[in-house]
Amino acid sequence: MSAFGAGDAGAARAAVTRLALRQVRRPALVVSAVAAGVTAVVVAGYESTAGTALDAAALATLAENPAVRTLFGEPFALDTPGGFTVWRTGTVLAVLLSVWGVLATTRVTRGEEESGRWDLLLAGRLAVPAVLGRHLTVLAAAVVIAGGAAGIVLVAAGTPPGGALRYAAGLVLVALFAVSTALLSAQVMPTRAGASGSALAVLGVGLLARMVGDGVAALGWLRWLSPYGLLALVRPYHDDRLLPLLVLAGAALLVGAAAMTLAGRRDVRAGLVAAPAGRPPRTWLLGTVDGFAVRRMVRPLAGWSAGIGAYFLLIGLLATSMTRFLADNPRFAELAAQAGFTELSSVRGYTASLFVLLAVPVGVFAASRLAEFVAAETDGRLTSLYAQPVRRNRLLTAETLATFAGVAVLVTVAATATWLGAALVNAPLPLTAALAGTWNVLPVVLLCLGAAILALGWLPRATAAVGVLPAVGGFLLHVLADSADLPGWVAASSPFTHLAAVPAESPGWSAAGVMIAIAIAAAALGRLGNRRRDLLG
Amino acid sequence: MHPPAIRTEHLTKRYGSLLALDDLNLTVTAGEVFGFLGPNGAGKSTTIRLLLGLARPTAGQAQIFGTPAAAVATAHQRIAYVPADVTLWPQLTGAEILELLGSTGPGVDVAYRDELVARFALDLSKPGRAYSTGNRQKVALVAAFATRAPLLVLDEPTAGLDPLMEREFRRAVVEARDGGSTVFLSSHQLAEVEAVCDRVGILRAGRLVDVATMPELRRLHRTEVLVRFAGPVPELTDVAGVDGVQVDGAALRFTLTGPPGPALRALAAADVTTLTMREPTLEEIFLDYYGEEDR
Repeated sequence: MSAFGAGDAGAARAAVTRLALRQVRRPALVVSAVAAGVTAVVVAGYESTAGTALDAAALATLAENPAVRTLFGEPFALDTPGGFTVWRTGTVLAVLLSVWGVLATTRVTRGEEESGRWDLLLAGRLAVPAVLGRHLTVLAAAVVIAGGAAGIVLVAAGTPPGGALRYAAGLVLVALFAVSTALLSAQVMPTRAGASGSALAVLGVGLLARMVGDGVAALGWLRWLSPYGLLALVRPYHDDRLLPLLVLAGAALLVGAAAMTLAGRRDVRAGLVAAPAGRPPRTWLLGTVDGFAVRRMVRPLAGWSAGIGAYFLLIGLLATSMTRFLADNPRFAELAAQAGFTELSSVRGYTASLFVLLAVPVGVFAASRLAEFVAAETDGRLTSLYAQPVRRNRLLTAETLATFAGVAVLVTVAATATWLGAALVNAPLPLTAALAGTWNVLPVVLLCLGAAILALGWLPRATAAVGVLPAVGGFLLHVLADSADLPGWVAASSPFTHLAAVPAESPGWSAAGVMIAIAIAAAALGRLGNRRRDLLG
Repeated sequence: MHPPAIRTEHLTKRYGSLLALDDLNLTVTAGEVFGFLGPNGAGKSTTIRLLLGLARPTAGQAQIFGTPAAAVATAHQRIAYVPADVTLWPQLTGAEILELLGSTGPGVDVAYRDELVARFALDLSKPGRAYSTGNRQKVALVAAFATRAPLLVLDEPTAGLDPLMEREFRRAVVEARDGGSTVFLSSHQLAEVEAVCDRVGILRAGRLVDVATMPELRRLHRTEVLVRFAGPVPELTDVAGVDGVQVDGAALRFTLTGPPGPALRALAAADVTTLTMREPTLEEIFLDYYGEEDR
């Protein structure tokens, strides 16, 4: 009997490891490829962009400017390819890896448990901590590979291995901290959305702490409390400090250990926070399918609005110091112009270049709403509505309109927050100009919405991936084409190439018209497919 | 002449190389309670998804009261549906789900809905994620019956219900039929089918193998009888309803179909010590009906 038990426990652990691998491997490969690719492009482009244009005095000016430090982190070792690459891509990659780490962790742990798919698994030989441990191991391996990929690229590019190692270790540890935090919140919160939300909130606060700590000298200590701040404090290729790495490792370990301890003390499918057992009915927006689509969106929209609002409030607050700096230092303005950011020395030019970035999160929001619609179809939540006397495409229309309304709210929030921040520091930015700037990204967001509907009609399981393509893929393509001298048609295939810098320039109506026409055509094709296909689930 | 509640003609569905439903021709007349039987994977749920327009047929067509099943805006005005595996919106309470389905559906008899909530002992204040399988099913059943729709399509609606609730379910089906509704009931609970259905269709491997009325199905119910005697064992050949007679020493084993009177009369003269009768299980009837060899 005992031999039978012992042999099977090993096999069970191996089986759970394989399950975790299957669920993580593909997105992990994509994230690793992005980490390696972005690093490679920036380090390879170093000589042509920054290498010749900067000298020591210029660097000192840059390092002293609070706005630059707030947005991009404290610059150091910019005169080396490694230091420059870390400054340009470090925060972006750390955010990418940690956000992916959070979403992947809650998806494969709390998500699987919430859906009931773990009931069968946990009825087997392994208890919750053992199953979580296997998933944690696989997720940790995934972020080691992703961070390691960036480090290997830097070593291959000829930068000092010591700096590359510290940097890669920092990236990995930030992502590990994110994974442990997500694991912990997945023990506390009973739902995947709640777990993701609270873990992402921790990361968001960490990012803000890094920005404030970098921007305000007196609050520099805040960076020791933030994973992104600790990564910056490592100062790869300059100081190569070890202490911040140790602090990060300790924090990740501590949070991970807390998660594993809690995992053994709770019931399966329950969190430490108990879901409310009952409440009086709240029937607002339940009368129509359109209202219901809006009601389901309200909570996520509030989260997205808070994040985007906070970021653009900061952008507004930094408007004067940033533009003054660029006006005083034409060399940096020149450098920025080479990177595609023109007229940064005026408030309108500066905000315009940042408004363009808004297309990425809002596009992702639009795609995520349609992906959630498909998820509700797949797991059967929508079945009762599909059995009502309501045509399929009528439900899709309701979802599309609600999503569009959400998009309108998000771009308006971004404009209002920027205007408010700018008004507080007396920067000349009228609300109408800010609104024009944020509403200018709508064609790209509509492309995301159109692409998501196209996928929903013909390849519903790919809705999220296809939906984010115009925004995320287009943006990466745009950056790569700028930095790496790719042929013109490559750049032209990105919607960002055709986005005018509003409010510095007037909107490009014809480009917007073409993008909207493509979006409408994609949506119409998607609706055609949706009418004919079998529903999932 | 009213159109039938359900009519399918050569209805066929393929998933890749798998033939899920093969040339189904079925008519369910308005006002009848139709039981839909078959082993797992026989194509029952596929048929229902086609009837509801959730899936598109590979060939053939289905009509609901004369309307093509694909025209859901019209067809679903007269359908209420309970899926086999009810998934609720986790954040909506039972009351909110009933409100949503009531206001987006073809209409609802609010008084009857409240009565059903009480009869099914349903706590409507809980959020969807907190309901057990049986309670999720009850929410869907209450929502469906409260519409008083002319056609109720029920896919294994009682799989998670306790016997008390199953009794309420049967009552609700009878009430629906008395109100003129048609009920299409897919089920594995033969006792439930027998209690409420007028006619039964039996599906196997995507093909409709038979459509029988309830009395015909009852004939399939073969009771196993074991009799022990103190004296000689009587002869039971040529007794109405008796089949498969086996003599085992002082015991007699046989199966009985239909009324037991003739068999009891034949046994009356003998010195019976014990008499055991056992109803066949659902499995035995299934196997008996399908025949193990032609599966």
